[in-house]
Amino acid sequence: MMPLRRFTIDQPKSVKEAAEMLAHHGENGRLYAGGTELLLAMKHDLLRYEHLVDVKTVPDLNTISVGNNNLHIGATVTHRAVERSAEAREHCPVLVDMEHNVANVRVRATGTLGGNLCFAEPHSDPAALLLALGAHVHVAGKNGERKLNIDELIQGAYETAIAPDELMTGVDIPLAAKSRRAAYMKFQIKERPTLGLALVLDVDGGNIKSARAVVGSISPKPARSDQVDKILAGSRADVEKRLADAAQELAKVADPVDDLEGSAEYKRHLVGVFLKRAFIKALS
Amino acid sequence: MQQEKKKGDFRVVNHAIPRRDGRAKVTGRATYVSDVKLVGMAWAKVLRSPYPHAKIISIDTSKAAARPGVYGVLTGNDLEGINPYYGHAVKDHPLLAIGKVRYVGEPVAAVVAVDERTAFEALEFIEVKYEELKPVLTHDEAMAKDAPLLHDRVFEAGALRGFEGDTTAGKGSNICQAHHIQWGNVEEAFKNAAAVVEGEYYFPMTYAYAMEAYVAIADVNDNGVTVYSSAQHPFMVRHDLKAIFNLPVSQVRLVVPFVGGGYGSKSYTKIEPLAAACSWKFKRPVKLQLTIEEAMLTTRSDDALTWMRTAVDANGKIIARQAKILMNTGAYAENSPLVVEKSTNRCVGPYSIPNVQIDNYSFYTNTVPASSYRGFGCAQVTLPGESQIDELAAKIGKDSYEFRVMNAAKNGEEFFPKMRPFEGSLKQDLDIAAKALRWNEPAPKGRAKSIACSTSDAGAYPLTSTAIRVHADGSVTILTGSTELGQGSHTVLPQIAAEELGIPFDKVHVMSSDTAITPYDRSTGASRTTTLMGSAMIDACREAIQQMVAMAADVLKVKTEQIQVIPGGIRAGEIQLNWSQIISKYYALPDGEVIGRAYIRKAGRFAQIPVFWETVSTGVEVAIDEETGKIDVEKLVTVGDVGLAINPALAEGQDIGAATMGLGTGLYEELVYEGSQLMNGSILEYRLPRFKDTAKEIELNLVENQDGAGPYGAKGGGEGSLNSMAANIANAVARATGVRIRHAPLTPERVWRALKEQKAK
Amino acid sequence: MTDVKQIVNLKFTLNGKAVEVDCEAEETLAEVLRDRLNLTGTKISCEVQVCGACTVLVDGLPVSSCTLLAYEARGKNVTSIEGLAKPDGTLHPIQQAFIDEFAFQCGFCTPGMILAAKALLDENPKPSRDEIVHFMDGNICRCTGYVPIVRAIQKVAGTLESKHHK
Repeated sequence: MMPLRRFTIDQPKSVKEAAEMLAHHGENGRLYAGGTELLLAMKHDLLRYEHLVDVKTVPDLNTISVGNNNLHIGATVTHRAVERSAEAREHCPVLVDMEHNVANVRVRATGTLGGNLCFAEPHSDPAALLLALGAHVHVAGKNGERKLNIDELIQGAYETAIAPDELMTGVDIPLAAKSRRAAYMKFQIKERPTLGLALVLDVDGGNIKSARAVVGSISPKPARSDQVDKILAGSRADVEKRLADAAQELAKVADPVDDLEGSAEYKRHLVGVFLKRAFIKALS
Repeated sequence: MQQEKKKGDFRVVNHAIPRRDGRAKVTGRATYVSDVKLVGMAWAKVLRSPYPHAKIISIDTSKAAARPGVYGVLTGNDLEGINPYYGHAVKDHPLLAIGKVRYVGEPVAAVVAVDERTAFEALEFIEVKYEELKPVLTHDEAMAKDAPLLHDRVFEAGALRGFEGDTTAGKGSNICQAHHIQWGNVEEAFKNAAAVVEGEYYFPMTYAYAMEAYVAIADVNDNGVTVYSSAQHPFMVRHDLKAIFNLPVSQVRLVVPFVGGGYGSKSYTKIEPLAAACSWKFKRPVKLQLTIEEAMLTTRSDDALTWMRTAVDANGKIIARQAKILMNTGAYAENSPLVVEKSTNRCVGPYSIPNVQIDNYSFYTNTVPASSYRGFGCAQVTLPGESQIDELAAKIGKDSYEFRVMNAAKNGEEFFPKMRPFEGSLKQDLDIAAKALRWNEPAPKGRAKSIACSTSDAGAYPLTSTAIRVHADGSVTILTGSTELGQGSHTVLPQIAAEELGIPFDKVHVMSSDTAITPYDRSTGASRTTTLMGSAMIDACREAIQQMVAMAADVLKVKTEQIQVIPGGIRAGEIQLNWSQIISKYYALPDGEVIGRAYIRKAGRFAQIPVFWETVSTGVEVAIDEETGKIDVEKLVTVGDVGLAINPALAEGQDIGAATMGLGTGLYEELVYEGSQLMNGSILEYRLPRFKDTAKEIELNLVENQDGAGPYGAKGGGEGSLNSMAANIANAVARATGVRIRHAPLTPERVWRALKEQKAK
Repeated sequence: MTDVKQIVNLKFTLNGKAVEVDCEAEETLAEVLRDRLNLTGTKISCEVQVCGACTVLVDGLPVSSCTLLAYEARGKNVTSIEGLAKPDGTLHPIQQAFIDEFAFQCGFCTPGMILAAKALLDENPKPSRDEIVHFMDGNICRCTGYVPIVRAIQKVAGTLESKHHK
């Protein structure tokens, strides 16, 4: 067995108390939710913490609710809870579809959407999709709350903009408009996705008014660009002809490298395959 | 051949009786070594080398040893008083690195502590100073003129039969083992050939990935050495431990409870010497439980780079095959020398080829030591062998299935000089596979079919003994050295005993794999248990029956000739007695027992090697996503030429299990080294077959012609359907796309790249 | 590494019975089950939440007990393989189906496999083949090639079409 090194667990009763505990522990402490990423890294001795602050004891962070413009998912809501949420299914079906295929059934039962984003593992399904959906997260600390979009939140591999004494309290995802067409598709051979492609379109008949394409897992953080999205807007027939150009541009932004998941060249190729597939799926 | 009864005559044998270990395994009550605790038991954790090749300058264990709860730290400097080298082929493997490390992950020190966490936490306080040496990582590097030598002395031979300890270690090169076979005149045949195919093929290093990682609990005391281990071959481990501690055989005891998967990876000695040395040094029982990731740094399979050419005459008859194989054996020989020999032989395939020359070399390198893995070198060479059959058929415009049938070895034919003539019916097997695949119908668009086959000269060496105890109540205990790895020995052996003794299956129980109690059995591997232990079981039962006939004659005061054996007992005139009555009357008490024994050796029906040919045909239909290169297996067919299935459900279970492992190596599995570092030594990156990969349509077939040397004509099974799977995948891809891929596994990217290169042409 | 040992007084329901056990904060549920409560049916293999050998059910949901902190079980209902058969020894239908369909060989993955199957069938009593594969895909078996396991689950669901062995 790989034993975990000794640590203590704090049980904050409020966001403020959690932030204080984190501030108190400094580098020796870390926020802990589902533990599906953190505890693995600790078991492998890649990370060492003396204190874990259990965010799950903070009340009211494990709820899904529908607001005027947003679907709100609390920081400690599990993948499974999103997968099975009627609200999520109604207001953001693409999210439910994505969550249904995150990791395996056990990880979905304990892992949280918030934890997934905060750990910023580069092969994250939610990060890619939520960036495409234009979601933002709420972050709270001793000095109050701030709002970050996903691009601001995730700085790089395992790096976020959340300060050591801050915690994420939830995610807001814009509600699906009637005109929104979205798809998330991934190519996965091993335990984590080789590539994830999220595409969100705003359509009006045969016209794509705007588009947001994100490729995940092939770079340290999910990649997108305004330039790509611009190529993907226009009449459906025109966009179809420009899909290869958009893919090429998106691959360029992502700038993948060779690793065990595949060569950079192969990943660039897959961007094209899955942009096309996601386009078809989104509009089907 | 023990073949009096014909298929259809059997009462217990040849029936799909539920597994004897079923209840224990579905309720969590089955005990594996990882579940065992001894009173006073300490735990060991291992510090491993970060370097592929380095001198150990010094090891300072004082800080680690001083930590609370730590009993001590064992290093290669603390082994005076025992013989620390072991090995099945040659004794080249120190139980802890001595003076030098030879691969990343090699054990350098072991902390023994009150519990696992304490031992683990002490590891980082051990200070080791190394002086790095130039590593040798590949065949090419090993062969280079100025290559550093991994080993510079000649070793004592291990227990491997027929192997004289003639590795070239210490003889100025890194060649670990060479093996050659040759008959006919290859050069002449290729000159006169009507068509020839030639190519270079690569089959990767793989890991067997048993779910249970290596684990051993050792208790070394004044009475000797007792080790509980997850070993497949307890008697082979005993052989090594006896030499390490210089003890008589009677003072070394190996106990093997249920084993959580082996597939060859738990063949021969692994971590038992280290656990035992820890117990010896710190004078208490010690448990050493590796993690899966450590297990992946303990054993792997040999890879093989094979150059091969095969020729036909104008009639489509295969007239010659030649191959040169280079294998990477890693830092220590383990059982690889036998893998080299077997892969050499298995290049020939199940075909009658008049001119053959195979040259095979394995090399020591600074990588994880390679050893046995299910199929034993056969998969490595069946990729080239069966690929070339398809390539040749395509070249001469023949159907590949018909081409195989036409060249198939025939039953009774001595197709491999000096070996046992072929026993099997390959044409029948291939016909069944073709029918199951609807070979004559074209595959749907984007799909293709393939049929392939293999035969293995079984590695099973005939040296087996057993005893059965018939108790006074008529129940029976089998004492067998065969280990229950999941293959079903605890079910199959009682089936045979129940059949022979004419008693219900439920009355026969098994005591297995305790070298202090169960008679010697050489190993549990190479598909040998049914054939060899099964034959011993018949002999032991019959010997017990003979004894009971004599007892009955004594009790009834008749001559033994007047006694007739009937199911479950005897008849003498009007009188019938069952076994219980005979024993009870003989002892004049309802107690006591009769012990039947049997010894199998290389003689009689097992005089000729191999003791059987393991012959299997397989077929697949695959779908290829040409955009991503991803292959899905839609249909899978296996045809096991098993002689007779003692338990058809278990035999089929072996075939589908092995075929699935074969699909893993055909599609995904390979250990990837970047320099000296194993890059995917974890299930996160080492891709095993999963539920998703199973074919939607599956047809498992058994061919039962009772033509083997084993019990009732049975032959071994359980490895064969793995061997041809990678070739099947490659052949199907070639049929679908016209692209021949000679490198396993056929990962999506590899397939995509090959298709892309073809388009560029 | 901290020297502060935090003892968690853990109370939960295990296989229908209340248990109370003291453990350290960093202990996993598998460690508590296997080492403190001597229930060794839960097996440890990959330790990275991939293979499923250590699967137990917490409030009916499958979790990887090798990396789930025992602390998380407080107040919850935990089911391990030892809790499936009835006290009189009658096997759970899934256990019986695994025996009938030869759905294991070495048996090391079997406790986790059976509990995952239970979680599936509890929420979806008649899963399609695709649903079975999707749910079970996170459990690894090296012996059987999975096909008999799918059959065993289908048998319990009443959707097994062909008879295999007479």
